[in-house]
Amino acid sequence: MNAFSLGVHIMKERMTAGRMLVIWPLLAMFILFSSWGLSDPKANLPSNIVIDSAYDVMFASTAFIIFSATMGAVLISFDGISRDRLSGVLEIKLSQPVSRSIFARSLLLGHWGAIFIPVFILNLISLGVIWIRMDDFPSAEELFIHTLANALLLLWWTSIQLLASSWARDMGSSIAIGLGAWMIFTLLWLVMTTVIAGLSGVGVENLNSSEYIRIEAIVDLFSPNGVYHHLLEMPIEDNSRISPLYSSIAAILWSIIPSLLFIRRIERIQP
Amino acid sequence: MMETCLTLTDVSWRHKVRDYSTWKPWATRDGAGIHSINLEIKSGVILGLIGPNGAGKTTLMRTICGLYDCEGFDKDCSKRRKNIGYMPEQVRWEGRVSVRNALKSIALMRNRIIDIDKLIQIVGLSAKSDHLLDNLSQGMRQRLSLACALMGDPKVLVMDEPLNGLDPLAQRAFCNLLKDLASKGVAIVISSHQVTDMESLVDEIALLHQGQLLIEGSLSEVRRTLDLDNDSGLVEMICSVTGIDPSDVSLDLSSDHMMPFKTIGGEEE
Repeated sequence: MNAFSLGVHIMKERMTAGRMLVIWPLLAMFILFSSWGLSDPKANLPSNIVIDSAYDVMFASTAFIIFSATMGAVLISFDGISRDRLSGVLEIKLSQPVSRSIFARSLLLGHWGAIFIPVFILNLISLGVIWIRMDDFPSAEELFIHTLANALLLLWWTSIQLLASSWARDMGSSIAIGLGAWMIFTLLWLVMTTVIAGLSGVGVENLNSSEYIRIEAIVDLFSPNGVYHHLLEMPIEDNSRISPLYSSIAAILWSIIPSLLFIRRIERIQP
Repeated sequence: MMETCLTLTDVSWRHKVRDYSTWKPWATRDGAGIHSINLEIKSGVILGLIGPNGAGKTTLMRTICGLYDCEGFDKDCSKRRKNIGYMPEQVRWEGRVSVRNALKSIALMRNRIIDIDKLIQIVGLSAKSDHLLDNLSQGMRQRLSLACALMGDPKVLVMDEPLNGLDPLAQRAFCNLLKDLASKGVAIVISSHQVTDMESLVDEIALLHQGQLLIEGSLSEVRRTLDLDNDSGLVEMICSVTGIDPSDVSLDLSSDHMMPFKTIGGEEE
């Protein structure tokens, strides 16, 4: 008995859940359509976004991945613990001889796999779309960083959501905590960054100023979505807002801390 | 002489409850629980846990199964869980997962090969093995919980209100199954409010009240100790040991009749 085999079983269960009927089309529309649209040579993009290569398309389409894939992670994991807890199934699972840390790791693996695999498959299809439209393909390094960043982003969101789900004692609070965390990091983070910049004495009237971009880059280290973008900026020359060292440290900390908190939580949870 | 499977010595557990006496929303204090339970669980014996609502039966069962990590057992949590099959009260199995797959996922948590088909057959779910959990009746869900408890041939079966939701025939079959398992040496700890079934099923009883084990032994021993007639049942035993007048039983759990014999941890609850 190990975390992997149990995790694969949980992943299969989650992938056949009814909510995947919503998540698959949502992901397909966001990931494939954004790749299709952004790889159009006639596309007229806002701001000063210039798309010259396949990786530029992949980088720009991550804005859509952040919305759809993270929402998918929320939809899959928000009741990962609370549902079993409410139904009494958690009591049965916790009374089994499997160690609780193995159980926690398998839950993480299973829920993460259930959202990462669809995103990975759709990303592969989107590579085909980009190749057809632009006759260009990302380098191996770009492909590796893009896949790794996606995998890590979904791991962070899965662990945050499972942790939140383990705190919730009813379905309502489970949804509220899950969606609340998503809204803070996805929708409200810009507002928080602006407030922090304002409080730090940085002018917020020009969001393209070097001072604002610098403080935004630092604040982004505290958000999974922000660190995701820092990682994706690594292969882009002259576009990295912060040292790759800081981005890497933040990515490692985001990978370790929520997961460890979740494992610790499961080790102590009472049904 | 029955072999002792598990010994409980001074087992205590207090639930943490919100402390409203302080402004801190995270502050907790010790709430109800069980206190200083001494009990021997013997192989081949069906032990019935009885007591009024809130007596601590479920808490005691959870501590036995290692769901609450507390001291006082002769085996630690992980060792206990290997040999214990636990059936909680009224599990609401749900989801778009088949009965067989639900059992497979539980079986993966046990470090041995489990014959799922045999289990399904024992609990009478053969016709429903490919049905989705969402489509099961409560009785079927109880059978599924029973299958989980029987997984891995446990030496101790702990069952919280297992007869709830079962039709009379299934209840009879269930009791027969438990007797059969007990005759094979499985120790069974069961709680049920279905007094008639309990009386015919159990070999020994343990009477809990306000978190304390007040009396235990075979039905005849308990009757003798409490100075009751031979035809007196579990209700009379509960009334006798808790000091409640059988003709004046009320639903009020805070009634003076229900005050504990002993105080818990030196303070009155």
